[in-house]
Amino acid sequence: MLRLHGIVGHETDTSLRAQLHALEHRGAIELLFVPPEEAGRKRFRLISDRGTDCAVSLGRDEELRDGALLHLDRERAIVVRFGRQRLWKLRPADETAALKLGWHAGNLHWRVRFEAGCLVVLIDGPLADYRARLADLLSDGSVTEIAYD
Amino acid sequence: MIEAGKTSATATAARLPAARVGIGGPVGSGKTALVERLIPALAARGVDLAVITNDLVTAEDAERIRRSGLIDPARVSAVEAGACPHTVIREDPTLNIEAADELERRFPGVELILLESGGDNLASTFSRDLTDFWMFVIDVGGGGDIPRKRGPGVVRCDLLVINKTDLAPHVGVDLELMHAQALAVRDGRPVLLTNCRSGEGIDAVVAMLESQVLFRA
Ligand SMILES: Nc1nc2c(ncn2[C@@H]2O[C@H](COP(=O)(O)OP(=O)(O)OP(=O)(O)O)[C@@H](O)[C@H]2O)c(=O)[nH]1
Ligand SMILES: [Mg+2]
Repeated sequence: MLRLHGIVGHETDTSLRAQLHALEHRGAIELLFVPPEEAGRKRFRLISDRGTDCAVSLGRDEELRDGALLHLDRERAIVVRFGRQRLWKLRPADETAALKLGWHAGNLHWRVRFEAGCLVVLIDGPLADYRARLADLLSDGSVTEIAYD
Repeated sequence: MIEAGKTSATATAARLPAARVGIGGPVGSGKTALVERLIPALAARGVDLAVITNDLVTAEDAERIRRSGLIDPARVSAVEAGACPHTVIREDPTLNIEAADELERRFPGVELILLESGGDNLASTFSRDLTDFWMFVIDVGGGGDIPRKRGPGVVRCDLLVINKTDLAPHVGVDLELMHAQALAVRDGRPVLLTNCRSGEGIDAVVAMLESQVLFRA
Protein backbone atom coordinates (compact mmCIF):
# COMPACT_ATOMS: atom_id res chain seq x y z
CA MET A 1 0.00 0.00 0.00
CA LEU A 2 1.24 3.46 -0.92
CA ARG A 3 -0.15 6.04 1.51
CA LEU A 4 -0.67 9.36 -0.23
CA HIS A 5 -1.90 12.59 1.25
CA GLY A 6 -2.69 15.77 -0.61
CA ILE A 7 -2.30 16.99 -4.18
CA VAL A 8 1.30 17.80 -5.10
CA GLY A 9 0.69 19.42 -8.47
CA HIS A 10 -0.92 18.98 -11.85
CA GLU A 11 0.36 17.11 -14.88
CA THR A 12 0.29 20.35 -16.89
CA ASP A 13 2.49 22.32 -14.45
CA THR A 14 5.27 23.74 -16.61
CA SER A 15 7.76 23.46 -13.76
CA LEU A 16 7.26 19.69 -13.71
CA ARG A 17 7.30 19.07 -17.44
CA ALA A 18 10.87 17.80 -17.73
CA GLN A 19 10.59 15.53 -14.74
CA LEU A 20 7.30 14.04 -15.95
CA HIS A 21 8.67 13.58 -19.44
CA ALA A 22 11.64 11.66 -18.12
CA LEU A 23 9.37 9.44 -16.06
CA GLU A 24 7.11 8.82 -19.04
CA HIS A 25 10.03 7.49 -21.04
CA ARG A 26 10.72 4.98 -18.32
CA GLY A 27 7.07 3.96 -18.17
CA ALA A 28 6.95 5.30 -14.64
CA ILE A 29 3.78 7.36 -14.81
CA GLU A 30 0.90 5.53 -13.22
CA LEU A 31 -2.72 6.45 -13.79
CA LEU A 32 -5.29 6.26 -11.06
CA PHE A 33 -8.75 6.06 -12.59
CA VAL A 34 -11.39 7.75 -10.45
CA PRO A 35 -15.06 7.39 -11.47
CA PRO A 36 -16.40 10.95 -12.04
CA GLU A 37 -19.19 10.42 -9.50
CA GLU A 38 -16.54 9.73 -6.87
CA ALA A 39 -14.56 12.87 -7.60
CA GLY A 40 -15.90 14.66 -4.52
CA ARG A 41 -14.26 12.16 -2.18
CA LYS A 42 -11.55 13.23 0.22
CA ARG A 43 -10.41 9.69 0.96
CA PHE A 44 -10.32 6.60 -1.21
CA ARG A 45 -8.37 3.49 -1.96
CA LEU A 46 -7.81 2.47 -5.56
CA ILE A 47 -5.39 0.37 -7.61
CA SER A 48 -3.41 2.23 -10.28
CA ASP A 49 -3.14 0.95 -13.84
CA ARG A 50 0.22 -0.51 -12.92
CA GLY A 51 -1.13 -2.33 -9.93
CA THR A 52 -0.09 0.01 -7.11
CA ASP A 53 -2.49 -0.04 -4.18
CA CYS A 54 -3.01 3.69 -3.45
CA ALA A 55 -4.54 4.84 -0.16
CA VAL A 56 -5.36 8.48 -0.79
CA SER A 57 -6.55 11.29 1.46
CA LEU A 58 -6.89 14.97 0.64
CA GLY A 59 -6.97 18.05 2.78
CA ARG A 60 -10.51 19.25 3.58
CA ASP A 61 -10.05 22.26 1.29
CA GLU A 62 -8.49 20.36 -1.60
CA GLU A 63 -10.47 19.38 -4.66
CA LEU A 64 -9.58 16.50 -6.91
CA ARG A 65 -9.13 17.41 -10.56
CA ASP A 66 -8.46 15.35 -13.65
CA GLY A 67 -4.69 15.35 -14.07
CA ALA A 68 -3.93 16.02 -10.40
CA LEU A 69 -0.60 14.60 -9.25
CA LEU A 70 -0.85 12.62 -6.05
CA HIS A 71 2.74 11.47 -5.95
CA LEU A 72 5.97 12.50 -7.61
CA ASP A 73 9.51 11.40 -6.96
CA ARG A 74 12.43 10.12 -9.02
CA GLU A 75 10.89 6.66 -9.28
CA ARG A 76 7.36 7.43 -10.36
CA ALA A 77 4.43 9.79 -10.67
CA ILE A 78 0.80 9.02 -9.91
CA VAL A 79 -1.75 10.97 -11.93
CA VAL A 80 -5.53 11.09 -11.44
CA ARG A 81 -7.75 10.33 -14.43
CA PHE A 82 -11.48 10.88 -14.19
CA GLY A 83 -13.36 8.06 -15.85
CA ARG A 84 -12.46 4.45 -16.33
CA GLN A 85 -9.72 2.62 -18.14
CA ARG A 86 -10.53 2.04 -21.84
CA LEU A 87 -9.10 -1.05 -23.52
CA TRP A 88 -8.36 -1.45 -27.22
CA LYS A 89 -7.80 -5.01 -28.34
CA LEU A 90 -5.82 -5.71 -31.49
CA ARG A 91 -5.00 -8.91 -33.35
CA PRO A 92 -2.03 -9.11 -35.74
CA ALA A 93 -2.62 -11.21 -38.88
CA ASP A 94 0.70 -13.08 -38.68
CA GLU A 95 4.17 -13.03 -37.12
CA THR A 96 5.43 -10.21 -39.30
CA ALA A 97 2.45 -8.06 -38.35
CA ALA A 98 2.92 -8.95 -34.68
CA LEU A 99 6.53 -7.80 -34.75
CA LYS A 100 5.56 -4.50 -36.36
CA LEU A 101 2.70 -3.92 -33.95
CA GLY A 102 4.94 -4.64 -30.96
CA TRP A 103 7.63 -2.35 -32.33
CA HIS A 104 5.14 0.52 -32.72
CA ALA A 105 3.53 0.08 -29.34
CA GLY A 106 6.92 0.02 -27.65
CA ASN A 107 8.22 3.08 -29.44
CA LEU A 108 5.07 4.98 -28.63
CA HIS A 109 5.36 4.09 -24.93
CA TRP A 110 1.87 2.65 -24.98
CA ARG A 111 0.68 0.75 -21.97
CA VAL A 112 -0.16 -2.77 -23.05
CA ARG A 113 -1.21 -6.17 -21.86
CA PHE A 114 -0.81 -9.42 -23.71
CA GLU A 115 -3.76 -11.70 -24.26
CA ALA A 116 -3.66 -14.96 -26.22
CA GLY A 117 -2.59 -13.77 -29.66
CA CYS A 118 -3.72 -10.20 -29.05
CA LEU A 119 -2.26 -6.95 -27.85
CA VAL A 120 -4.49 -4.97 -25.47
CA VAL A 121 -3.69 -1.27 -25.38
CA LEU A 122 -4.61 0.66 -22.23
CA ILE A 123 -5.95 3.87 -23.71
CA ASP A 124 -5.18 7.27 -22.22
CA GLY A 125 -6.61 9.88 -24.62
CA PRO A 126 -8.75 9.92 -27.78
CA LEU A 127 -8.85 6.58 -29.63
CA ALA A 128 -8.42 8.46 -32.92
CA ASP A 129 -4.90 9.48 -31.86
CA TYR A 130 -4.00 5.83 -31.32
CA ARG A 131 -5.61 4.70 -34.58
CA ALA A 132 -3.68 7.34 -36.49
CA ARG A 133 -0.38 5.84 -35.31
CA LEU A 134 -1.33 2.43 -36.71
CA ALA A 135 -3.13 3.71 -39.83
CA ASP A 136 -1.00 1.68 -42.25
CA LEU A 137 -1.17 -1.59 -40.34
CA LEU A 138 -4.92 -1.22 -39.91
CA SER A 139 -5.68 -0.29 -43.50
CA ASP A 140 -3.67 -3.12 -45.09
CA GLY A 141 -5.23 -5.67 -42.77
CA SER A 142 -2.00 -6.56 -40.90
CA VAL A 143 -3.77 -5.64 -37.67
CA THR A 144 -7.47 -6.05 -36.88
CA GLU A 145 -9.39 -4.20 -34.17
CA ILE A 146 -11.15 -6.80 -32.02
CA ALA A 147 -12.74 -4.63 -29.33
CA TYR A 148 -12.81 -1.20 -27.76
CA ASP A 149 -14.38 -0.86 -24.38
CA MET B 1 11.65 19.80 -8.24
CA ILE B 2 9.73 17.88 -5.67
CA GLU B 3 11.98 15.83 -3.45
CA ALA B 4 11.69 12.09 -3.37
CA GLY B 5 9.36 10.84 -0.70
CA LYS B 6 7.76 14.18 -0.02
CA THR B 7 4.27 13.00 -0.80
CA SER B 8 4.36 9.75 1.06
CA ALA B 9 6.90 9.64 3.83
CA THR B 10 6.82 13.21 5.10
CA ALA B 11 3.12 13.84 4.75
CA THR B 12 2.24 10.60 6.48
CA ALA B 13 4.51 11.42 9.35
CA ALA B 14 2.86 14.82 9.72
CA ARG B 15 -0.59 14.92 11.24
CA LEU B 16 -3.25 13.65 8.88
CA PRO B 17 -6.86 14.76 9.13
CA ALA B 18 -9.19 12.36 10.91
CA ALA B 19 -11.34 10.16 8.72
CA ARG B 20 -15.03 11.03 8.97
CA VAL B 21 -17.51 8.21 8.70
CA GLY B 22 -21.27 8.75 8.51
CA ILE B 23 -23.90 6.36 9.80
CA GLY B 24 -27.40 6.97 8.48
CA GLY B 25 -30.61 5.01 8.19
CA PRO B 26 -34.26 4.84 9.19
CA VAL B 27 -35.50 5.53 12.72
CA GLY B 28 -34.68 2.70 15.11
CA SER B 29 -32.67 0.58 12.66
CA GLY B 30 -29.81 0.30 15.16
CA LYS B 31 -27.45 3.16 14.32
CA THR B 32 -26.63 3.95 17.94
CA ALA B 33 -26.42 0.24 18.74
CA LEU B 34 -23.86 -0.10 15.92
CA VAL B 35 -21.87 2.86 17.27
CA GLU B 36 -21.91 1.21 20.71
CA ARG B 37 -20.50 -1.96 19.17
CA LEU B 38 -17.94 -0.17 17.00
CA ILE B 39 -16.45 1.91 19.82
CA PRO B 40 -14.97 -0.98 21.84
CA ALA B 41 -14.04 -2.95 18.71
CA LEU B 42 -12.11 0.00 17.27
CA ALA B 43 -10.60 0.93 20.62
CA ALA B 44 -9.31 -2.63 20.97
CA ARG B 45 -7.44 -2.08 17.71
CA GLY B 46 -5.92 1.12 19.05
CA VAL B 47 -8.00 3.51 16.93
CA ASP B 48 -8.20 7.02 18.39
CA LEU B 49 -11.90 7.79 18.18
CA ALA B 50 -14.56 10.49 18.62
CA VAL B 51 -18.30 10.49 17.98
CA ILE B 52 -20.91 13.01 16.83
CA THR B 53 -24.60 12.28 17.08
CA ASN B 54 -27.47 14.16 15.49
CA ASP B 55 -30.89 14.24 17.03
CA LEU B 56 -33.94 16.24 16.17
CA VAL B 57 -34.22 18.53 19.19
CA THR B 58 -32.39 16.67 21.96
CA ALA B 59 -28.99 15.15 22.69
CA GLU B 60 -30.59 11.81 23.53
CA ASP B 61 -28.19 9.56 21.59
CA ALA B 62 -25.12 11.55 22.63
CA GLU B 63 -26.16 11.21 26.29
CA ARG B 64 -26.71 7.48 25.82
CA ILE B 65 -23.20 7.03 24.39
CA ARG B 66 -21.62 9.29 27.03
CA ARG B 67 -23.26 7.24 29.78
CA SER B 68 -22.26 3.94 28.19
CA GLY B 69 -18.79 4.11 29.74
CA LEU B 70 -17.33 2.97 26.41
CA ILE B 71 -15.64 6.27 25.58
CA ASP B 72 -14.48 9.49 27.27
CA PRO B 73 -17.72 11.57 27.36
CA ALA B 74 -15.77 14.64 26.19
CA ARG B 75 -15.21 12.84 22.88
CA VAL B 76 -18.93 12.73 22.14
CA SER B 77 -20.53 15.81 20.58
CA ALA B 78 -24.20 16.40 19.87
CA VAL B 79 -25.65 18.38 17.00
CA GLU B 80 -29.34 19.17 17.06
CA ALA B 81 -30.77 19.16 13.58
CA GLY B 82 -33.85 21.12 14.59
CA ALA B 83 -35.41 20.09 11.28
CA CYS B 84 -35.38 17.06 9.00
CA PRO B 85 -32.19 15.12 9.86
CA HIS B 86 -30.94 15.12 6.28
CA THR B 87 -30.63 18.90 6.22
CA VAL B 88 -27.55 18.78 8.47
CA ILE B 89 -25.80 15.91 6.68
CA ARG B 90 -26.50 16.87 3.08
CA GLU B 91 -28.01 20.29 2.27
CA ASP B 92 -26.10 22.26 4.87
CA PRO B 93 -23.66 20.15 6.85
CA THR B 94 -21.90 23.19 8.37
CA LEU B 95 -22.95 22.41 11.94
CA ASN B 96 -21.57 18.89 11.69
CA ILE B 97 -18.40 20.01 9.94
CA GLU B 98 -17.82 22.52 12.75
CA ALA B 99 -18.42 19.82 15.36
CA ALA B 100 -15.90 17.54 13.63
CA ASP B 101 -13.32 20.33 13.26
CA GLU B 102 -13.77 21.15 16.93
CA LEU B 103 -13.19 17.50 17.96
CA GLU B 104 -10.03 17.44 15.85
CA ARG B 105 -8.81 20.62 17.54
CA ARG B 106 -9.52 19.29 21.01
CA PHE B 107 -8.13 15.80 20.35
CA PRO B 108 -5.26 16.32 17.91
CA GLY B 109 -4.45 12.60 17.52
CA VAL B 110 -7.98 11.58 16.63
CA GLU B 111 -7.99 9.21 13.64
CA LEU B 112 -11.67 8.52 13.17
CA ILE B 113 -14.87 10.44 13.82
CA LEU B 114 -18.12 8.48 13.66
CA LEU B 115 -21.11 10.62 12.85
CA GLU B 116 -24.59 9.23 13.53
CA SER B 117 -27.36 10.98 11.65
CA GLY B 118 -30.81 11.29 13.12
CA GLY B 119 -33.18 8.56 11.97
CA ASP B 120 -34.61 9.49 8.58
CA ASN B 121 -36.15 7.90 5.50
CA LEU B 122 -34.62 5.82 2.72
CA ALA B 123 -33.75 8.91 0.69
CA SER B 124 -31.18 10.32 3.07
CA THR B 125 -27.57 10.58 1.94
CA PHE B 126 -24.42 12.25 3.28
CA SER B 127 -22.56 15.08 1.59
CA ARG B 128 -19.00 14.20 0.54
CA ASP B 129 -17.96 17.49 2.13
CA LEU B 130 -18.91 16.04 5.48
CA THR B 131 -17.95 12.37 5.37
CA ASP B 132 -15.25 10.35 3.62
CA PHE B 133 -17.26 7.17 3.85
CA TRP B 134 -20.82 6.52 4.93
CA MET B 135 -22.84 3.54 5.92
CA PHE B 136 -26.57 3.12 5.79
CA VAL B 137 -28.16 0.90 8.43
CA ILE B 138 -31.45 -0.81 7.71
CA ASP B 139 -32.93 -3.61 9.75
CA VAL B 140 -34.65 -6.88 9.11
CA GLY B 141 -37.70 -5.73 11.05
CA GLY B 142 -38.37 -3.04 8.45
CA GLY B 143 -39.17 -5.79 5.95
CA GLY B 144 -37.22 -7.92 3.51
CA ASP B 145 -38.36 -5.78 0.60
CA ILE B 146 -36.57 -2.61 1.72
CA PRO B 147 -33.54 -3.08 -0.59
CA ARG B 148 -35.83 -3.63 -3.60
CA LYS B 149 -37.30 -0.17 -3.07
CA ARG B 150 -33.96 1.29 -4.17
CA GLY B 151 -33.88 4.20 -1.76
CA PRO B 152 -30.92 6.49 -2.48
CA GLY B 153 -29.54 5.77 1.00
CA VAL B 154 -29.56 2.04 0.32
CA VAL B 155 -28.13 2.33 -3.18
CA ARG B 156 -25.52 5.07 -2.82
CA CYS B 157 -23.93 4.44 0.57
CA ASP B 158 -20.38 3.06 0.68
CA LEU B 159 -21.51 0.21 2.92
CA LEU B 160 -25.03 -1.08 3.50
CA VAL B 161 -25.55 -2.71 6.87
CA ILE B 162 -28.53 -5.00 7.39
CA ASN B 163 -28.98 -5.13 11.15
CA LYS B 164 -31.10 -7.18 13.56
CA THR B 165 -30.42 -10.43 11.73
CA ASP B 166 -31.58 -12.20 14.90
CA LEU B 167 -35.12 -11.03 14.18
CA ALA B 168 -35.39 -12.60 10.72
CA PRO B 169 -37.22 -15.77 11.81
CA HIS B 170 -39.64 -13.71 13.93
CA VAL B 171 -40.68 -11.32 11.19
CA GLY B 172 -40.79 -13.80 8.32
CA VAL B 173 -37.81 -12.40 6.42
CA ASP B 174 -35.63 -14.56 4.18
CA LEU B 175 -32.25 -13.12 5.11
CA GLU B 176 -30.35 -14.71 2.23
CA LEU B 177 -32.80 -13.31 -0.29
CA MET B 178 -32.72 -9.86 1.34
CA HIS B 179 -28.91 -9.92 1.21
CA ALA B 180 -28.88 -11.01 -2.45
CA GLN B 181 -31.39 -8.33 -3.44
CA ALA B 182 -29.40 -5.68 -1.59
CA LEU B 183 -26.26 -6.70 -3.49
CA ALA B 184 -28.22 -6.61 -6.74
CA VAL B 185 -29.57 -3.06 -6.33
CA ARG B 186 -26.05 -1.97 -5.32
CA ASP B 187 -24.30 -3.57 -8.30
CA GLY B 188 -22.31 -5.77 -5.96
CA ARG B 189 -21.00 -2.99 -3.73
CA PRO B 190 -20.58 -4.01 -0.08
CA VAL B 191 -23.45 -5.23 2.07
CA LEU B 192 -22.80 -6.62 5.54
CA LEU B 193 -25.12 -8.33 8.02
CA THR B 194 -25.00 -7.52 11.72
CA ASN B 195 -26.68 -8.42 14.95
CA CYS B 196 -25.87 -5.55 17.29
CA ARG B 197 -27.48 -7.45 20.15
CA SER B 198 -24.84 -10.19 20.09
CA GLY B 199 -22.05 -8.40 18.23
CA GLU B 200 -22.19 -10.80 15.30
CA GLY B 201 -20.88 -9.27 12.07
CA ILE B 202 -19.21 -6.28 13.76
CA ASP B 203 -15.70 -7.53 12.96
CA ALA B 204 -16.45 -7.39 9.25
CA VAL B 205 -17.61 -3.77 9.55
CA VAL B 206 -14.45 -2.90 11.45
CA ALA B 207 -12.30 -4.70 8.88
CA MET B 208 -13.89 -2.65 6.11
CA LEU B 209 -13.22 0.60 7.97
CA GLU B 210 -9.64 -0.47 8.59
CA SER B 211 -8.91 -1.15 4.93
CA GLN B 212 -11.04 1.48 3.16
CA VAL B 213 -10.92 4.37 5.61
CA LEU B 214 -8.09 3.97 8.11
CA PHE B 215 -5.73 2.42 5.56
CA ARG B 216 -4.30 0.04 8.09
CA ALA B 217 -4.13 -3.09 6.00
N1 LIG C 1 -33.04 -7.68 18.28
C1 LIG C 1 -32.22 -6.67 17.96
N2 LIG C 1 -32.48 -5.45 18.42
C2 LIG C 1 -31.62 -4.45 18.10
C3 LIG C 1 -30.48 -4.66 17.30
N3 LIG C 1 -29.84 -3.47 17.11
C4 LIG C 1 -30.57 -2.56 17.79
N4 LIG C 1 -31.65 -3.13 18.39
C5 LIG C 1 -32.71 -2.47 19.17
O1 LIG C 1 -33.42 -1.60 18.30
C6 LIG C 1 -33.84 -0.44 19.02
C7 LIG C 1 -33.35 0.82 18.29
O2 LIG C 1 -31.94 0.83 18.31
P1 LIG C 1 -31.10 2.16 18.21
O3 LIG C 1 -29.68 1.79 18.19
O4 LIG C 1 -31.55 3.14 19.22
O5 LIG C 1 -31.57 2.67 16.78
P2 LIG C 1 -31.20 4.04 16.05
O6 LIG C 1 -31.13 3.72 14.60
O7 LIG C 1 -30.03 4.67 16.67
O8 LIG C 1 -32.50 4.93 16.34
P3 LIG C 1 -32.68 6.53 16.08
O9 LIG C 1 -31.39 7.18 16.38
O10 LIG C 1 -33.76 6.92 17.01
O11 LIG C 1 -33.09 6.65 14.64
C8 LIG C 1 -33.27 -0.56 20.42
O12 LIG C 1 -34.27 -1.02 21.25
C9 LIG C 1 -32.16 -1.58 20.25
O13 LIG C 1 -31.91 -2.31 21.43
C10 LIG C 1 -30.23 -6.00 16.83
O14 LIG C 1 -29.26 -6.29 16.09
N5 LIG C 1 -31.13 -6.95 17.20
MG1 LIG D 1 -29.75 6.60 17.37
